[in-house]
Amino acid sequence: MKKIDSLTPLAHPPAKKSAALGKIHPVIIYPFHQPADYTDLSGLYQLVARLDAKKSRYARPITVLDRKTHFSNEKDKAFLDFRKNTLTRHSEVLDAWCVDTCQMWYSGLALAFERGAPGDVYWLIPGDFNYGTPTGQEVLGRLHDLPEIILELEQDLCIGEIATDYSNSKQLIDTYGTFALLYNWFPIEAQEIRRFTERPRSEFFAIRHSFLQEVLQHRWYPYEQTVVILLQAVFSQRHISRFFVGNISDLPEGGESLNSALQQVERTERVLKSLWRERHEPTPGWLDRYRVLEQQSEQVRRTAVTVLQNILEV
Amino acid sequence: MSSLGYGKPLRAVNFICVAPVARSVSLVGDFNAWNPAAHPMKQMPDKAWLLTVELKHGHHRYAFLVDNKLTLDPRAQGITRNDKGERVSLVPVS
Repeated sequence: MKKIDSLTPLAHPPAKKSAALGKIHPVIIYPFHQPADYTDLSGLYQLVARLDAKKSRYARPITVLDRKTHFSNEKDKAFLDFRKNTLTRHSEVLDAWCVDTCQMWYSGLALAFERGAPGDVYWLIPGDFNYGTPTGQEVLGRLHDLPEIILELEQDLCIGEIATDYSNSKQLIDTYGTFALLYNWFPIEAQEIRRFTERPRSEFFAIRHSFLQEVLQHRWYPYEQTVVILLQAVFSQRHISRFFVGNISDLPEGGESLNSALQQVERTERVLKSLWRERHEPTPGWLDRYRVLEQQSEQVRRTAVTVLQNILEV
Repeated sequence: MSSLGYGKPLRAVNFICVAPVARSVSLVGDFNAWNPAAHPMKQMPDKAWLLTVELKHGHHRYAFLVDNKLTLDPRAQGITRNDKGERVSLVPVS
């Protein structure tokens, strides 16, 4: 198997450092399931308020709110008050009907991109983490590093990595599902991705204007889009960085159940298959190669399901 | 302590490299133009190599040169590539 040890010369050499750095566009993804307690969201929006106040550095933050979330809480006074007094006050709320979280990313990042300019950076901040805890506060204090690394070190993509226990469902899904499937469909690129991160599905990232433009021009998947963005970064020999943001967990609505874990593995496989076909369909004989990979992929997925079932059902 | 002044506030940063059998270790990074001679590290009684450097606010790319071999810092907060395309470590200074 061919190895990529170094990606020199880079297809996208770093731009010359300019005296004026681009603006940072924060895009906050509001939780799909409204938490009963607002502690975590209040912690997050304290950060958003600070960003909104630094107008020379940050563009007006955008909060993406799924319409289903809004309508299922439209009679909840606490929700309406939070929306009016916090979300709207410190950010522009983008109401959108979305099939999944990645479509919320797409809507928010694309809107920010339309308002941005070359040299700007777009910073995705997931809303459904325990930001109200002491460790969550620590993470909030580090997240700004992601867009700053892009600006200061002229990177194209900076992935934020969180620490999890080896038996955490996210870790298990990535070890036995995501990476195993990546090694099947895109073995060379998978090696390069793993040189940077153990979290190829991270929801924390920042991306440079020119690379976001490239990514927006390709097919956008409703789920597991970080994997696709990372693959695109490797295909185009973009500058990737990884930064540790700390110990933080999904809110309880997150994916701890076996059903949710299986769904995530199945989705990853579906996305990788589609992406592989897109890239190889013009090549003669692609279908024979595809069938072989598909058979292998099924074995990989079945193994992942067995492992996840054995661990998560205990 | 080495000082790298750029007219901005500086902060002392400790770099520790655990390489007990190495004959020489130096710190290289954007802040010293990746010059192997600029920041030699000192071996401590516990055999770890230590150097304190004052760095300006921001994010810095660096690596250890362990017996002339570029080595990542396993304790680093981040990973990136330098201008030569080599994988190197990242340190934030605030």
